[in-house]
Amino acid sequence: MEGIPLELRHEVQQYPPALGEELMQSGPRMRGLLDEEGLVRWCSQGLAIARQAARSWEAAAEYYKVSPLVLPALGVGYFFLWAREGEMVSLDGPSIGVAFFKSSTSVVGRIQGHQVESWARTGHRLFKGTWKSAVLETRFFELSPELLRHLTMPELERLVGLVDRLGHRSNELALECLSLSQEVFSQIGDSKESLISLLGVLVEKSWREVRACLEAVPQALARVEGIHRPEFLHLAERLADSGHPGICSFVIEGSRTLGQIEREQQSLVFQGASAVMAVDAMMVPEVFKNAPLVLSRISPGRFPLWLGEGLRIARENRDGGLAYFRLESACSEAVLESLSHAVELSRFRDILSLYCRALAGRRVDIAPTEELTSKGLGWVSKERATTEGSTVYLPPVVDRFSDKGSNFGWLKVVATHQVAHLEFSTFAFAFQRPSIYFKDLRTSLWNEKHSRDPLLRGPVEAEEIEALVPDLKRFFDLFPERKLALDIFTVVEDGRVDSHVVSEYMGIRGPYSRVQEAALRERPPIEGLGPREALLEHLVRLSLQWQDGHPVPKKQARLVTRIDRIMKMVLAPRATVEDAAEATIRIYAMLSQLAGQEVDQEEAPGQEGPEGGDGQEDTEELLQQSQYSGGESSAGQGSADNDPKAKQKAYASPKPVEYRGDLKPELTQLLARLKEASPELKEKAAARQATREGIQALLAQSVEIDIPPGDAISTRAFAENVMRESGMPPRDSDYVRGPFLHTDDEGGPLQSAEPDTYVYSEWDFRANDYKPRWCIVREKRVPEGDDGFYRKTIENYTSLLNQIRRHFELAVPEAFRKIRRVKDGEDLELDAVLEALVDIRAGISPSEKLYWKRNKVERDVAVAFLLDMSASTAEAIEEARHPYPGWDAPDDPMDYMMWLRNRRGEAGRRHYKRIIDLEKESAVLLTQALATLGDKYGIYGFSGYGRENVEFYTIKGLEEPFDDRIKRRIDKIAPLHATRMGPAIRHAAQKLLQVEAKTRVLFLISDGRPQDRGYSREGVEKEYAVHDTKMALNEAQRKNIVPFCLTVDKTGHDYLKTMCQDMGYEVLADIHSLPQRLPYLYRRLTM
Amino acid sequence: MSTGKKAPFFREYVVEEYIVQEEPFYLPQRGEVDIFEAAYKQKIPVLLKGPTGSGKTRFVEYMAYRLGRPLMPSRRRGPEPEEGKLSGNGHGIPLITIACHEDLTASDLVGRYLLEGGETRWIDGPLTRAVKSGAICYLDEIVEARKDTTVIIHPLTDYRRLLPVEKRGLLLEAKEGFHLVVSYNPGYQSILKDLKHSTRQRFVAIEFTYPPKELEAKIIEHEAGVAPELSWQMAKLGEKVRNLRDHGLQEGVSTRLLIYAAKLIAAGIAPRVACQTAIVWALTDDYQVQRSIEEVVSSIFE
Repeated sequence: MEGIPLELRHEVQQYPPALGEELMQSGPRMRGLLDEEGLVRWCSQGLAIARQAARSWEAAAEYYKVSPLVLPALGVGYFFLWAREGEMVSLDGPSIGVAFFKSSTSVVGRIQGHQVESWARTGHRLFKGTWKSAVLETRFFELSPELLRHLTMPELERLVGLVDRLGHRSNELALECLSLSQEVFSQIGDSKESLISLLGVLVEKSWREVRACLEAVPQALARVEGIHRPEFLHLAERLADSGHPGICSFVIEGSRTLGQIEREQQSLVFQGASAVMAVDAMMVPEVFKNAPLVLSRISPGRFPLWLGEGLRIARENRDGGLAYFRLESACSEAVLESLSHAVELSRFRDILSLYCRALAGRRVDIAPTEELTSKGLGWVSKERATTEGSTVYLPPVVDRFSDKGSNFGWLKVVATHQVAHLEFSTFAFAFQRPSIYFKDLRTSLWNEKHSRDPLLRGPVEAEEIEALVPDLKRFFDLFPERKLALDIFTVVEDGRVDSHVVSEYMGIRGPYSRVQEAALRERPPIEGLGPREALLEHLVRLSLQWQDGHPVPKKQARLVTRIDRIMKMVLAPRATVEDAAEATIRIYAMLSQLAGQEVDQEEAPGQEGPEGGDGQEDTEELLQQSQYSGGESSAGQGSADNDPKAKQKAYASPKPVEYRGDLKPELTQLLARLKEASPELKEKAAARQATREGIQALLAQSVEIDIPPGDAISTRAFAENVMRESGMPPRDSDYVRGPFLHTDDEGGPLQSAEPDTYVYSEWDFRANDYKPRWCIVREKRVPEGDDGFYRKTIENYTSLLNQIRRHFELAVPEAFRKIRRVKDGEDLELDAVLEALVDIRAGISPSEKLYWKRNKVERDVAVAFLLDMSASTAEAIEEARHPYPGWDAPDDPMDYMMWLRNRRGEAGRRHYKRIIDLEKESAVLLTQALATLGDKYGIYGFSGYGRENVEFYTIKGLEEPFDDRIKRRIDKIAPLHATRMGPAIRHAAQKLLQVEAKTRVLFLISDGRPQDRGYSREGVEKEYAVHDTKMALNEAQRKNIVPFCLTVDKTGHDYLKTMCQDMGYEVLADIHSLPQRLPYLYRRLTM
Repeated sequence: MSTGKKAPFFREYVVEEYIVQEEPFYLPQRGEVDIFEAAYKQKIPVLLKGPTGSGKTRFVEYMAYRLGRPLMPSRRRGPEPEEGKLSGNGHGIPLITIACHEDLTASDLVGRYLLEGGETRWIDGPLTRAVKSGAICYLDEIVEARKDTTVIIHPLTDYRRLLPVEKRGLLLEAKEGFHLVVSYNPGYQSILKDLKHSTRQRFVAIEFTYPPKELEAKIIEHEAGVAPELSWQMAKLGEKVRNLRDHGLQEGVSTRLLIYAAKLIAAGIAPRVACQTAIVWALTDDYQVQRSIEEVVSSIFE
């Protein structure tokens, strides 16, 4: 080999031949690039490497191999620098050297010559003389080409710096992170610098998270808007710097949150976060977490205000701020509410419910639309308001306008429209009832139809459920094109109801017409619609009080005038739903003819109908028209059968008017009919397959429900749901959502075998008799807890307590009431003496009763307080009382356990006051108050699950003296299970009878209607519990016990009226007043 | 007018001589006038039941007027009556109204002796006066009176029509025309108050409810002197608010309150404000219920 000194060649030959081969291969190319001296230097450099250790020749071989590729890239000067660095690296281990040289070919293309040194040194820094660190260094050199593709040399140095530091903690981790970073940095684009610095902080503060974080970052960043990515990482870094645990989850959750926020609004969150960061880093994740929720409730412009308020609080009180940003404080609720322009139904539910009740004059509940759609009765739209006859369903949130007032106004208009259907009796349509303004055609059409086709009477109208068939079904049966008829009827009826509202309620006219105008603006253009659609659209606009003319196809100009006339009649002040029906018949006649002309030319010819209407449209003529149409309808039955789809297809329903919601008159009337049916009829009907099939057929026929045609299963499920909703016992359990009603009917009387159990009968109002030995009451003592609650209550209520004591102390002399006009007493009664003197003068014998005395009759009162310890008392009182899903205890024991656990879990997380807490506080106050009076009293709690498990807890027995144990027991009063009141009342009465007292009082404090498994279920069964409770109270009364019921359930009037017919009861409007009210009522009751 | 004959500041009536002079405005609802007349003829005492402000007192006044036609002028103590105002000299039926309260004693009703300069003088109580003068005696809110007080009316209420005056050892037979009318409001039959059955079953009862919308509108129109349209709206409001009875409201809004609201409007107060003060705030302290009624008001009035 030319140019290479002999001794060097000899030396090369001492190593395995591979080395020589590499030298030989590269030699010629190197000679062309280097001068003589350089060549020697190159060659001996390789040997220097090879000499280092046993296997160093491998590195040397690699050196020789890559040299020709490296040299041109670096130039001679840096080439030898590189070679020297290589030698140094190879000292760490031959395989490291190999890796270094191997990577060099690609690396040199990505770095500058002078950076070679720092590259090599960077790798070298990782070497700590251990095998593991050698692996790390090797890995570094192996990955270098890839890493350098995305990172600059200084960046790489920083990265390796932190990998190095990580290596101090765990070599494996460092290795993994190094490997990972290659992948990660290839994905994250511009955010490398930020990521490196985040990782740098993480290594210091919480090195265990580095890896997870690194893994999470690429995905997380993908969710963040590009320009915000560095900012996001920077935030995470500052968070990490402040020692926040869980950076990784912040990165994941935070980015997820950002993903939910519109791009433009992300910067808001960042601004907010950095402002919050300045106060307290711990709050940043909370801000992120709740930002989407907050932004969904308030406009972006107000976000800083919301934030500012939170910061103000946070500066004053850290926990307060934290709770604020977690949205877990009343203050944050209030602020959000005041900033929000959206109107939430839940906040106005009570008000609207009373409002609707006032308007409709009967019980109307308000519920969010989800509640109805989840019932599976055929309503599917979650956006549109509707009613099913007893409840008005409204959208849960209204956020259409930028101020609260308008949003509420809209909600009110929507609610008013729905309730107007009830007030102006849309669903009270009666087939036979005459209309006001029209000549009635319904009956004649019906007769005609039936004379033509006597077989029309289908299975639906089987005798026993004849009464259940809604009149509206009969009405819609008149039309072959049901959908068209329904659409016309809906528009006409909605228009009628609206016009009633506007003329009856002056005050709402303003908002109402604004909503109508808005609806009009949203109407699709009439041009380009088919003739029928155009006329229907015209109808919709008329019903919305359209004033100005709008284009209508010229061909139909005559029909338009006629429709205008009909609508005028329907919109008149006295029009009834029957008028709307008659109008529907007429308009349908016109529209269906139109379709006949267009779609099927053969059907229309020769008929005088459309032409006959020139000029005069009096009722007579309309009658003719409609009769004609009726004739066609029944005749059309046949043709529609032949070709129903062509007709259906040709016609498209008008776009719904949003504020009017979803009117399903036929279904609603069916539900109402079923609900109103007597229990006997219900049972009878439910027992017959015909009913089921009838309802099924009816539903299948109705166009109000979107069931795929021929889908027997879903029709069947609908039918079951409808029947259950109306209180009919379902039979096919396959389609039943819940278990059977009143499963406890099975099984016989129970026995009390264990100690402290007592058996009581239960009143069955249906049977009008007792169910003997039906319930087992298990008496238990409440375990002792801490007396802290007792002391705290006394402290909190010091002033109230003083007040109560004063009242009760005053009551004691009241007990020793001055009795006037007695023969003997403490002192002379002045009035009586005067009278006597007068009498003497007048010559009549004066009364002997000249004295007054104090009544020495001692109070002899025994009172048992019975506290409701049912699970529902765990409900927080601050919140608006919204029923939880699954408020009633499920029957299935497994479900029940889940239900219970959920409810308890909810309770456990609560920081605020629950109903039970108020009950406990009241108990504390009572013990204090009653101590002043010296009455005998017992405090008991009750709950239970099922009839064999009525729990009766003794907090203080009637004869038990009051002591510290009782204070501690009060602490342990807790919400438990369900509310079976009857047996508990019976047992308490029994207890009262065992003590000597002249007056016995049974004071029941509850939070709702009685309910328990097999004690109170939907429909008729609710009554069962109420009646049993009533009977238990009556029994007590008969035993000379004065019962009194106090409930905190605002809706309690309904059932309490039944339950306590001639007993005292009170419904506390404000739960908070319980502690004040209870002692007061007690005083009233016993004095 | 000369200074010598100063116009009186007040009018004073002897209790049994208060006679309803001008025909009170009353619109019969459903035959209660006939029933009362029949009961009066047959000397059967009458119990008027009904919520507050439903027209019980007005009804009694109206009946006293109606039964007493032709009119008799009341003899006024003190100032002379103005000449033109009196008409006829018939035998109007005096109306004696007693508002019952907890401390009402039997001698408050029957009478007592008074000392007058060493002499005693018997003074009749209002009930005695009514019995003597054959007046209509109206015991308002009878449940408020103590039970031992109410029993003294028992002998008056059956066929005996006697009032024992124990102090004087007398039995007073009621004069022809004496008629006992009591009223009570079953609505606020608070926890422990109710009419004893022995008392209750001595009367025929006339139930008063709030009048139907059409009638109430007329009443409001007349009483408040407002336009038919406004009174109609007022009546509608009444109907709607009454739908809330027992659901947040213990009592529905009385016709009286509706009239007050209408009067305020007639005096120039904005309708919504008038309803707020006369109805919403007067009816309830519950914020939720207030809000609900406000919504009803704002739906009806602009």
